[in-house]
Amino acid sequence: MSPAQGKSSFKEGTPLPDAATLDREFDRGSRSQDHIAGIFEESDDDSQKLVMNFGPQHPATHGTLRNIFTLEGETIVHADVEIGFLHTGFEKLAEHMTYQQWVTVTDRMNYLSAINNNVGFSVAVEKLLGIEVPPRCAALRVIMSELSRIADHVLCVGLQGMDLGAFSVMLWAFEKRELVYDIIEAICGARLTTSWTRIGGIMRDVPEFFPDLIYQFLDDFPPLVEELHLMLRGNRIFIDRVKDVGIVDRETALSWGLSGPVGRSSGVDRDVRRDHPYLGYDKYDFKIPVQPEGDSLARYMQRMEEIEQSLEIIRQAMATLPEGEVVHDDFKTSLPKKHAVHTDMESLIHHFKLVMLGHGIRPEPGATIYVATEAPCGELGFFIASDGTDTPARIRIRPPSLYNFAIYPRMVEGGMVSDAIAILSSIHVIAGELDR
Amino acid sequence: MTKKKNSNDDSKGPVPSHPVLEAMPAALREAVLSVEVHQGQTGLVTRVESVRAILEHLRDDQDFDFLVDVTALDFLNQDTEERFQVIYILERVSDLTVIRLHAWLPEDASGVPSVFDLWDSARWGERECHDMFGIVFEGNPDLRRLLMPEDYPGFPLLKDYPLAGHGERRRFPRVVPVGDEMIEEEPLEYPTSIGRGMHTPEYIEEVRRESSPGEE
Repeated sequence: MSPAQGKSSFKEGTPLPDAATLDREFDRGSRSQDHIAGIFEESDDDSQKLVMNFGPQHPATHGTLRNIFTLEGETIVHADVEIGFLHTGFEKLAEHMTYQQWVTVTDRMNYLSAINNNVGFSVAVEKLLGIEVPPRCAALRVIMSELSRIADHVLCVGLQGMDLGAFSVMLWAFEKRELVYDIIEAICGARLTTSWTRIGGIMRDVPEFFPDLIYQFLDDFPPLVEELHLMLRGNRIFIDRVKDVGIVDRETALSWGLSGPVGRSSGVDRDVRRDHPYLGYDKYDFKIPVQPEGDSLARYMQRMEEIEQSLEIIRQAMATLPEGEVVHDDFKTSLPKKHAVHTDMESLIHHFKLVMLGHGIRPEPGATIYVATEAPCGELGFFIASDGTDTPARIRIRPPSLYNFAIYPRMVEGGMVSDAIAILSSIHVIAGELDR
Repeated sequence: MTKKKNSNDDSKGPVPSHPVLEAMPAALREAVLSVEVHQGQTGLVTRVESVRAILEHLRDDQDFDFLVDVTALDFLNQDTEERFQVIYILERVSDLTVIRLHAWLPEDASGVPSVFDLWDSARWGERECHDMFGIVFEGNPDLRRLLMPEDYPGFPLLKDYPLAGHGERRRFPRVVPVGDEMIEEEPLEYPTSIGRGMHTPEYIEEVRRESSPGEE
């Protein structure tokens, strides 16, 4: 490890690549930097560069993604990322499954708020078919989406605390998130992989005690959030680590396609719930918080404010929750009730026609549609192309995490290694959604 | 059924107009082959040659400042003009107009001009599109594989890429019980040449060479 020799490796005796190889492979655009990680390189101005691997298995990567940082001292001079470790081919699977079946796959994208994915996909298919769900179903979907959003944001804030050394914040956040998961479990039996929606409705009506659960939650939750807020907002160490770190201005955010809390905390006043209302979001009176600062602290504040607005939406939706059916009444596209299938001939035929391969929901041939919904991470869009059969010709997911993460190398370049962790936790990338 | 009839009637009528189309200069408007409307959403269909000019116009003159997504469609064995369509979804944030641009792309899937200099979000959008379909976006400085491994042979979202089959594991020998004995079974020849011969290392090398990394 003597600097006089120019280059040296951590391990004595490891053969070094020659200078020409190093020069070539340090270029952006080359991915084969694996074998030279951990090697110092001498640059023109007498400083030394170190290539450091961060991930794929690292607690602060929140899933499986790999960062390759080139360091000069502790400053990141060049960053590159590698994703795809969780790639499972959801889009390819969609071409071989029916619309109804693929709802289960959407759970696995952003597994912290599976209901938002279910709702997003169902809304897209319903728009493609031109059907509208009953008002009770729409209101329930709104309530559950907002609950899911709260769980997602609370967990994100907790993990942000954990990455910066405040471990108890993470434990508190997990505890508070449990309140939401209890409700989700009560309405659909599952906690993470909910598969709660159906094309044209939801799996079943909520139980009778649902209003009690929600009102209890609305009473219990705000003080707990306030606790969490006090832990972090009044914490000098936390503020020092996140303030003025990873600043993205509005123009950059727009150009890189940042959406959701990450975009709004950079001043992009854009929220699909307000701009392209779906499920009757235009009936509710809520604000879209926007932060102009664009740093990691702003992204934290943005999430805390969005939690308040989500609670407000739930309050209004509960006050105006209509009675009635929860499934669209055209059983050519939506599944009839299970009880009716067992007792009624016509429902049995409808059920049969919907679940048998080769029948099922068949949108118009050649129809294409792009429908976006506001997921906790940002704009979750589904581009669906139909070929007139019961399986889609193509479903493209517009994952918010992918576009939010694309800018990450630019955000960390020039900063410290510790800032890279503060930034990564603030943009809240879910690897399941990133890689699909 | 009635819905189907209605939409057929629509498509046979005059070309539906759209404010975005009307605001285009005549030369670009001629490049738009047709306008697809479904459920109130508009898609302009064009050819890949004019895609850069149209997108530049939409970005600079019509202020479409948000590129939502870049993706593609594969129309293998269908009676369409070309095999591929590259799709750009654009949004104008000031008045929330959303429009799609569908560009027909021939079988060899090359010659799509990159638009990373207009919207930075195209960098990864095009990269994923390349990864999944093998479409080469010329000029994109970082057209590496995004999700699949670097040395992966195929392009998974092509329609001729098999989903069903014996799968990867049958390419390795395995030990199976035959009667009382355990016999080592020979591996099957599993077709790894997928798609249109664009999966070869030479091809990947060519893409690397063509996309200039000097842009940074």
